[in-house]
Amino acid sequence: MADVAQPRTVIPPATGALTVRLRRLGEVTVQTLRNPVTVIGLVIIVLMFAMALLAPVLTTPNEPNPYQMPRDWTALNEPPGTPGHPLGTTAHGGDVLYGVIWGSRTSLWLSLIVVAVTVTIGTVVGSLAGFIGGKVDEILMRVVDVFLAIPELIFALAIAAVLGPSFSNIILALAIVYWVKYARIIRGQIIHVKQNEYVDSARVIGDTKFRIYLKDVLPNSITPVMVQATMDMGAIVLVGATLSFIGLSEAGLAEWGVLVSEGQVGISTGRWWASTFPGLMIFLWALAFNLVGDGLRDVLDPRTESR
Amino acid sequence: MTSVRAQSLEREGSVGDRPVMTLIDVEKHFPIKDGVLQKVVGHVKAVDGVSLEIRRGETLGLVGESGCGKTTLGRCISGITAPTGGGIYFRLSDVDRAALEDILATPGKERTPEQRKRMERIESRHLITALTGDAWRAYRRNCQVVFQDAFSSLNPRQLVKDIVGRPLRIHKEASGAELTERVVSLLESVGMGRQHLFRYPHQFSGGQRQRISIARALALDPEFIVLDEPTSALDVSVQAQILNLLHELQRDRGLTYLFISHDLGVVKLMSDRIAVMYLGEVVEQGTATELFERPRHPYTEALLAANPDLDADVDKEIEGLEGTVPDPANPPEGCRFHTRCPVATPICGWEVDDAVTWLSVETNLLDAMTAVERRSNFDATLAFADDGSAEAVGKAMTAGSVPPAMAPALESVSVDGSKVLLRFLPVPPVELEEVEPGHVTSCVLHTSRRREL
Repeated sequence: MADVAQPRTVIPPATGALTVRLRRLGEVTVQTLRNPVTVIGLVIIVLMFAMALLAPVLTTPNEPNPYQMPRDWTALNEPPGTPGHPLGTTAHGGDVLYGVIWGSRTSLWLSLIVVAVTVTIGTVVGSLAGFIGGKVDEILMRVVDVFLAIPELIFALAIAAVLGPSFSNIILALAIVYWVKYARIIRGQIIHVKQNEYVDSARVIGDTKFRIYLKDVLPNSITPVMVQATMDMGAIVLVGATLSFIGLSEAGLAEWGVLVSEGQVGISTGRWWASTFPGLMIFLWALAFNLVGDGLRDVLDPRTESR
Repeated sequence: MTSVRAQSLEREGSVGDRPVMTLIDVEKHFPIKDGVLQKVVGHVKAVDGVSLEIRRGETLGLVGESGCGKTTLGRCISGITAPTGGGIYFRLSDVDRAALEDILATPGKERTPEQRKRMERIESRHLITALTGDAWRAYRRNCQVVFQDAFSSLNPRQLVKDIVGRPLRIHKEASGAELTERVVSLLESVGMGRQHLFRYPHQFSGGQRQRISIARALALDPEFIVLDEPTSALDVSVQAQILNLLHELQRDRGLTYLFISHDLGVVKLMSDRIAVMYLGEVVEQGTATELFERPRHPYTEALLAANPDLDADVDKEIEGLEGTVPDPANPPEGCRFHTRCPVATPICGWEVDDAVTWLSVETNLLDAMTAVERRSNFDATLAFADDGSAEAVGKAMTAGSVPPAMAPALESVSVDGSKVLLRFLPVPPVELEEVEPGHVTSCVLHTSRRREL
């Protein structure tokens, strides 16, 4: 039997499922890290996360609410390099460095909560539509169509405006807007994956629908969602900052969009720092997640995955 | 483990002593939906009234061109899709079958309460779409499938151990170390081994993947396996290995196969009996030797002629079939093969569509046709833009150039202004008939309808 046994590459025989899965994870990681652009993105993300985690160490937290900018009314419009205010202050005496550091925390909260909520809702709705199909699919997808007919930013803006200016309302508005995208993605994937014969063979051996969904359909459908979620970690902060910038967030919040808005009056008179530093952070954050998302897509996409 | 032993005990006896699968008038019609409201405008008759019996220990070959419904039929038998008509029965005894056929022959309203009761009892025990509980589990364990495409029939994210061990886990036959050992012995029975346990499907060649599929199908020690073109995606050398493996497994385990393929050579090698399908129907069925040596249907003959033979003279031109397979949503009248049949007779089911097809291929007279008013497939009025065209069509239809088989079937052609009335002699659908012991065909050249000629 000539076609039996000979592995194409010589790797020592694996001894257990865990070893193999870890090895596979290792392979994917190595493959991801081979792309220098992805590495740049990852480094930025790691630094941002570190900054967010270490915010209370890097600065003295404002009492009682550290997410509020501390106001130093004795130092208005100070340029970068002023003692005690390395990145300068805003027109209202807010320390730009404090805003930049605590802003990474706010952004992390914002993007994590919104992504977690939207991926969950989107996956549930998309799975119901794609896996059950028929009338359920028809109804759910028409709802999704209605959501998709309105431009994301304008829709989020409208919701946030109706709910009133507050940071939690921005989170809510973004969650309402963003889940539809995931529902669409996962539905399309499931309809495609469902046609594979491994789904039929699972039915032939007598497995239940729910287990087929969990073991065969979902694991083979989820990768594009992971890529999209990574990209959205960046995009959501961008849109969130936009909403904050136009005043839908709370004034004085340590948030990059709020900070840019607070500093914008100074740009024309040469006081660039209050807007530029938080603006740069928004840019880096969005860029980093997009770079990593692109890299992940190349590695995880089943079409580029080595067979 | 006792259940497995019980099964193999139960399985002792001679080959063919009882049916494993019985198909009675199985239909699978897929709706064609159209428009915004997705209204059903017709049905694709993928399987249209197939009756078959697969007896224990034998291999029934199912052949036909692509699109003839053989894969759909396999999917119905293995319970992946439910048929839209007729019934598929698992382990239906000959006595029950006779009783059931008797009841089915009686119109629904005239059935006696006893008959209804009997039928209900038979269905709840044998009809695969009505099985529940233990009966359903027994069917599920005993009827497995090996698919054509070993690339898509193995979950790319599962390890071989999980793929092959999954049936055992679902049916709670083994777990932990015992499961691993069972999987190893299954892998060994298909020529693989322990070293393959913790690998992903993409790490194997096509032949090896097919072996993994077979190991999975064997896991529950089934009685019956549907082999849906198991080797057509493989290299010829690997094909032979897989076929040999299937043969050995059948011998060692007393398996029953339904072997679906379009490759007659492979089917001949594997099958005890062969059923030939065309456009959703079985047109001929017989033992492998009978069918190859004395085919009783022109379609089978055409398939045999189209099968390139290595021993044959290289210069000899291979006779293939002409034309394309008709639309399964609107199959031809009479014998469905008559549109392409080289030896068609006047009673094979000539109809309006045949006349229209002939006119459009042989003449350009149809360019002026504006409408077709169809009273039946045998009777229609063709409307033309002008009287001249209608007259020309009328002439063409009565001239000597009309195909010699079609001409006598034409009952009348009359021209009325710009309209042409075409009427064919209506014929009933062809029926399968036993022409030799165990050899059935639907071709009128061989059945009792020969006398009408």
